[in-house]
Amino acid sequence: MTVQVTASEGGIPHNTIMAVGLVGSLVCLYLTYANQFLNAEYAAFFGGLAAVFALLWGTDTIKHLCSYGIGTGVPSAGMIAFGTGVIAMLLATKVEAAMPYSAPIAAVVFGAIVGAVAGWIANSVLKMNIPVMVRSITEMAIIGAIVLMGFTAVMAGGFSFDALAAREIAILGPLSMTSYAGSLLGGCLLAVSFMLGSIALQHPFNACLGPGEQQDRTLMLAAECGFLSMIVVAVISFAFVAFAAAMLSLIVAIVGFVYTYIRFIELSKRDAFAWLDAKPILEPEGED
Amino acid sequence: MTAIEASSSGGEGINPVASVIGIILILIAIAITYSVAPPAALAALIGVIVGGLLIGFGVHFVPVGGAPAAMGQSPGIATGVAMLAAGAGLAGLFGGAWAAANPEFGFAIVIASGAIGGGLLMAITCLMVNIVYIFGMGIPAASGKVAKDPITGDTQEAYKSQGTEGHGLPFISYVGGVIGGLLGGAGGTLIYYELLKLYSALLPDILTADVAQIMPIAVSLAGIFAIGMFLVNAVLAAYNITGTIEGPHDPKFKRFPRAIIGCATASAVCGLFAILIVVV
Repeated sequence: MTVQVTASEGGIPHNTIMAVGLVGSLVCLYLTYANQFLNAEYAAFFGGLAAVFALLWGTDTIKHLCSYGIGTGVPSAGMIAFGTGVIAMLLATKVEAAMPYSAPIAAVVFGAIVGAVAGWIANSVLKMNIPVMVRSITEMAIIGAIVLMGFTAVMAGGFSFDALAAREIAILGPLSMTSYAGSLLGGCLLAVSFMLGSIALQHPFNACLGPGEQQDRTLMLAAECGFLSMIVVAVISFAFVAFAAAMLSLIVAIVGFVYTYIRFIELSKRDAFAWLDAKPILEPEGED
Repeated sequence: MTAIEASSSGGEGINPVASVIGIILILIAIAITYSVAPPAALAALIGVIVGGLLIGFGVHFVPVGGAPAAMGQSPGIATGVAMLAAGAGLAGLFGGAWAAANPEFGFAIVIASGAIGGGLLMAITCLMVNIVYIFGMGIPAASGKVAKDPITGDTQEAYKSQGTEGHGLPFISYVGGVIGGLLGGAGGTLIYYELLKLYSALLPDILTADVAQIMPIAVSLAGIFAIGMFLVNAVLAAYNITGTIEGPHDPKFKRFPRAIIGCATASAVCGLFAILIVVV
C-alpha cells in the first residue's frame, strides 16, 4: 500500500515541466548539429543546455516519484535513470552513424523502451503498486539518455558512434593517425559524465525535500547542479574540440552556474524565513 | 495514516501474470538476438541474463539498515541497498576486469576474481561497520528478526536494546553480506566478460582496425554497460526489498524469486540493446 506525501503544493504542473524539458533539450541537442557547418565546434555548449533542461525535468519527475514512500531513498532513482539511460544513449549514437540527424530522437525512443520495461518490472513483477512508477522510470530513462548525449556533445562536439570511438591525431603536419585509446569512449569519459549526470539528477530533490520544500528552489538547485557538471565536462572538452569552442562552453557553464547559485541562495534565504510559518505535511486525496 | 508511517510495503508473493509476461519478454529478447546477430551474441545475452539474475539474488543477502542503522536502531550497514550493491559490484568488476585483461586466465578464474573482489569489499565493510558499532557506539551486535542466530545458535534477545529492532551486524548478517558480495561481484563480472568477448570479436570489422587497437573501446563499452546494468539490477532488487533487510534470515528474503524474474527480464532487454550496438 502506498500513500502519497506531497512535499509542496502548487507550482508549475509536472506535465508543463515535462513538455518544456523534452522540447527544450531536443531543440538544444539539434542545435549542436550546427557544428557541422561551422569551422569549429562553437555550438557544443548547446549540449550542456540540453542537459540542464533535462535535469530540471528529471528533478520534478523524481519529486513526483519519491513523494510516494519507495523505501530506498532518492539516490536509487537517479541511479536507475542513468543505468537505463546509458544503454539507450549508446545505441542511439550507433543509429546516428547509419541515419544522420536521428540520434536525439532515437535516444528518446530507446530510453522510453528500456525505461518502460524497468518501470513495469518494478511496479508489476516486484509489486510496488505505485501509480506513477512506470511513467516516472520511463521519463527518467529518457532524461538519463538526453543528459549523457548532451554532455557527450559538449565534450566531443557531436555524438556519432564513429566520432566517439576514434580520433584523428595529426603527426608531422600533413600525416595523421587514428587513435582509439585517445577517443571519448576509449578514455571511458562516458563513466565520468555518468556520475556527473546522475549526481546532478538525484541531488536537488534529496537536498531540498521536507515540509519546507518549494518547487522554484528545488528546480533552481537542479539548474545549478547541471551547470556545475557542465563546467567539468567543458574542461574535459579542451582535449577534444577546438580551443575557442571549449572556452565558449566553459564560459557559458560558469556564467550559468554563478547566476543559478546566486538565485538559489536568495531562494534559500526566502524559504528559511518562510519556515517560521511552516504548515504540517499535506496529504492530498486521490491519485495523480 | 500519517506521512511518517507511509511506505511502500511491496506486498508478498509472486504476481503470476506479470512473471509470465516477464519470461515471455526474455524469450523475445533471445529470439531477436538469435535472428539478427551471430551465434556468439546469443551466448553473450545468456551470460548477461544470468549475470543480472545473480546480482538480483545477491543483493538480497546484503544487510542494509539505512538511516535507522546509523542511529543504532536496526541491524545492517547504514546506507541504501543500491549504493552498497554498487560498491560491491564495482569492486568485483575491477577484480574481474584485471583478470579478463590477462589472456592466460580462463572463464572460471575471471568470474572467481570478480566474486572475490565483491566479497572482499563486503567483508571489509561489514568488519568496519561492526568496529564502529561496538567500539564507537558501544552496542553489541544483535538481530531483531530471529531469537537465535541460525549459524552459531547464539541467543539475541538479551543483547537487544529496548525499543530497537536490533543493532550492529550479527554473525548471520555478516556471512550474508559476504555471500551477497560474492554473488554480485560474480554477476557483474559475468556481464562484463561476456560483452567484452563479443565486442573484441565484432568491433575490429566494424571499425576496420585490429584487435589491439580497438581494445580500449571494447573494454570501455563493456565496462560502462556492465555498470549500467549493475545499477539497474541493484535498484530493482532494492525496490523489491523496500528499504532495510538483515540478511538471509530476514522474512523479506523470501521475496527473492520475483526479483530474480524481474532482474532477468531487465537484463534481457538491456542486454539486447547492448548487443544491437555491434550488429546494427
